[in-house]
Amino acid sequence: MSRINPKFGKELKKYGATEFGSCYNCGTCTAVCSLSTGEDSFPRSMVRLSETGNEEEIAASLKPWLCYYCGECSTNCPQTANPGELMMSLRRWLMAKYDWTGLSGYLYKSLTATIIAMVLVAIGVVVFAAYEKFDMEVIMHSGHMFEMLAIAGVFAVILIPNIARMWYFTIIKPGKNVSFMKYIKSLGEFLIHMFTQKRALGCDDNQKRWFEHFILVIGYLTLLFTTVFLDWFGSESIFVIVLGYVVSAVIFVVTFDFVLGRVKKNKEVSKHSQPSDWFFVIWLLLMGVTAFAVRLFIDLDILENNKWLYLFHLAVLAQWALIIVPFGKWTHFLYRSFAMYFAKLTVV
Amino acid sequence: MQKEPTTLSFDALVIGGGIAGGEAALNLASNGYKVIIIEKRLSLGGKMIMLSKVFPTLDCSACITTPKVSEISRHPNITIFTESDLTSVEKRGEHDFVAKVTRRPRYVVAEDCTACQLCEEACPVIVKDQFQYNLVGRKAAYIPFSIASPKVAAIDIENCTLCGACEKVCPPGCIDFTQEPRDYVITAKTAIVATGFKLYDPSNVPRYNYGEAKNVITSMQMERLLAPTRPFHTILRSSDGKVPDKIAYVLCAGSRDDSLGNPICSQICCMYSIKQAQLLMGALPMADITIYYIDIRAYGKGYEEFYEQAAGMGVRFVKGKIGRISEKENGNLTLRYEDLASGKLKEADHDLVVLSVGVKPNSEPAGLFTTHKLELDSLQFVKQSDPLLSPAKTTIEGVFVAGTATGPKDIPDSILSAGSASTEAICYLNQ
Repeated sequence: MSRINPKFGKELKKYGATEFGSCYNCGTCTAVCSLSTGEDSFPRSMVRLSETGNEEEIAASLKPWLCYYCGECSTNCPQTANPGELMMSLRRWLMAKYDWTGLSGYLYKSLTATIIAMVLVAIGVVVFAAYEKFDMEVIMHSGHMFEMLAIAGVFAVILIPNIARMWYFTIIKPGKNVSFMKYIKSLGEFLIHMFTQKRALGCDDNQKRWFEHFILVIGYLTLLFTTVFLDWFGSESIFVIVLGYVVSAVIFVVTFDFVLGRVKKNKEVSKHSQPSDWFFVIWLLLMGVTAFAVRLFIDLDILENNKWLYLFHLAVLAQWALIIVPFGKWTHFLYRSFAMYFAKLTVV
Repeated sequence: MQKEPTTLSFDALVIGGGIAGGEAALNLASNGYKVIIIEKRLSLGGKMIMLSKVFPTLDCSACITTPKVSEISRHPNITIFTESDLTSVEKRGEHDFVAKVTRRPRYVVAEDCTACQLCEEACPVIVKDQFQYNLVGRKAAYIPFSIASPKVAAIDIENCTLCGACEKVCPPGCIDFTQEPRDYVITAKTAIVATGFKLYDPSNVPRYNYGEAKNVITSMQMERLLAPTRPFHTILRSSDGKVPDKIAYVLCAGSRDDSLGNPICSQICCMYSIKQAQLLMGALPMADITIYYIDIRAYGKGYEEFYEQAAGMGVRFVKGKIGRISEKENGNLTLRYEDLASGKLKEADHDLVVLSVGVKPNSEPAGLFTTHKLELDSLQFVKQSDPLLSPAKTTIEGVFVAGTATGPKDIPDSILSAGSASTEAICYLNQ
């Protein structure tokens, strides 16, 4: 027996959902959603669970991850209850729920906490640089080491345990019976969604946004690969150098368009931006710009006289790797892919 | 050359000749007051005269409206201006209103017309019949509809080719293409606003496919299909003549919906849909009828029983608002909705879909009053200065309001409010 918990609604407001209480349960949102199906009908069911404060069922639900926020539901909602933004807020809430450290929730709910964390990381970078007496060679070498350690550390300590928790909440706790073979057979689904976000194409008129997002993901992963494993900043290979330029430019162009969309608010999906959305998209943009500029300065041989640029790049990188990746919006990349995988597991 | 406007004097000016305006005029006239009704269209009777039957008694609407309308038109104290535009109303002082009215020409001498319809037969022009809500065509020389009052032909001059065929066949020779608009100055001691409502236009909702899908019609079109004076004398899909056997009603099509610009309940759609469903079960005993609703609001006397009666007759009630209507190749429609009982997204096929369109305000009267402000409420209906204790009073003293001009109402409530408005007007006249 679950009990009504009105406090949950107040909690959810801190994650961005403010209007869902006006829902009168007509089901228009579900009926206009192009991703909703007879088996997985949403978003109204999630609005209802949020209204009654049924945390357990929400934590067990994969539906928030099955929504790719085209915004049709919000546009057509008779009560302007904004179900699209509710789904977005539930995703934020779930990311916080999956996070064993509890830091995600703290950062989502408090802009001040996020800013303090970002500033502390930036100070750390500067202090480290001062400690190394601003020796460019040492700093750049350490920066490269940091990238590798951060990736390994964040995955081992934060992300893998969190995905295990997601698995526990959505598969184990609700008592879903999944055979071992099913886990193996469904892996393809996981990889397809991780690298293509294919499902987003099911949204109405979403081809452009899907394509932008797709090349952003590919660009981001390539930049990561180029800087971390091909050592872009230290590389002599013309191929690596050009590749780095191209992907960082791609990241800049796409994220610039995303930022512009959030400023203009001309689409349902970009109308309601929470601080976590801004940080994610702006830091991604900064990563693209600063990486591009650092390599450019190296090629022009002026980095030695402009150490601040590399320090700025390193600060952005550290904030990204220590805050946004483990505790911010970045994790949607993993959770969405795993949600598609877990959803596939339970299809009979 | 425009002649000097004719000046006429009355006790009361009634704006709108629908059932509320007519009732108010009749009450005033029966108390000995001289009344003028200004009606925009060719006939009295408003929307009620177009209806099939009325809820919850299932009285034939035509059969109860027509006697009322003829009582109004034969009353010695009532003057009726149809096809007339009120352009302004000035309040010069208490009991002193001056209205400017333009009577548009019918191009037919009304007094001589016998409604023999020979002009209709002769006319070669066919256009959509607005009185049948575009289900069928009519001629450019035409009697508006069979129970119109006055039952007099008119020439639709915008579509007329001036071929003169009607003129040649008219037995009394009453067709007169030389008629011109005539201006009147009307003085009155009080005024009643009975300008009614507008129907929600569902072509604003692309998801409903109205106007694109051939077999999606409005509830008003269904009223015409069901009415005794109906165009086809049976229920059929006007697109292909098929007799439908799986009919869907989409409630709240343009009501209770912020996103469609009408946040309030229209108060009549549940009941008229239930009524039409019952009539359809009588007309097409083999047909399945499904009403998709958010909430059934059967709040009036005998309404809940009327709803239960429909359910008992086998009308299916499904809780869930229709989100999307798509047309199939054979003209049938697929309706997408969330079935609230199971919480699952579903699709259903129907061969005729009726959109239960809502009530929209008619804000035109606000612009008519020049010296004083006739205020509207936040929804653009005429504002009642004291909605609880004097519901017929407007923000102008001496101007009263009847019927759906103040908000959605069913027929009994419209008649009641007309009674209230006429009584208030009489009190004002005797002040």
